[in-house]
Amino acid sequence: MSEKELGQKWDRCLADCAVKFGTGLGLGIVFSVVFFKRRTWPIVFGTGLGLGMAYSNCQNDLRSRYVLHSKVAKEQ
Amino acid sequence: MAAKILPVVKFATKFTIAGGALYVAYDSGLLGDGKEGSVVLGRAKAAFPPAVEEWMKYFSFELPATPKIEFSPLDAWNSVFHSGVQKSIHALSVAPSTVSDYTKQGLQYVKDLTK
Repeated sequence: MSEKELGQKWDRCLADCAVKFGTGLGLGIVFSVVFFKRRTWPIVFGTGLGLGMAYSNCQNDLRSRYVLHSKVAKEQ
Repeated sequence: MAAKILPVVKFATKFTIAGGALYVAYDSGLLGDGKEGSVVLGRAKAAFPPAVEEWMKYFSFELPATPKIEFSPLDAWNSVFHSGVQKSIHALSVAPSTVSDYTKQGLQYVKDLTK
């Protein structure tokens, strides 16, 4: 992986982190207000979910170069 | 009869609101891949100033013009000359000698006080 590609992947990771953090926060607030009587824990849970999704995406993206691909030959 | 239906209606409304929010998030690609996330962020950044302007017109409320700052944190950290990376590593490399100098100065100052 070239340095330029790595830098782009990290930039994508940070952008994705921001997006997922905001989404998790927003959805957590919605669920907290609608279902859970404005408690704090759904907000924290949603934010954590968002950050976890971002981490998982980052991990997948950075590892994608080294994943082995194979094709199964069709029997003739 | 109405008293029995009301809790069901309330729950259905809540479920619709929460489910709708979740669906909107899923549909606009907010919950997807890293690539989709950065695309959505770009779109939001592009859509933000016109939306603010429209709201300002609607409420006839003038926000003070945001000062244009020419500073980019990303460039400052990554740039080729005097980058943040270089400065941080240089600071780390001179840290032991700087600390020993300051310690000597401090000890000298204390000695002078006790003379």
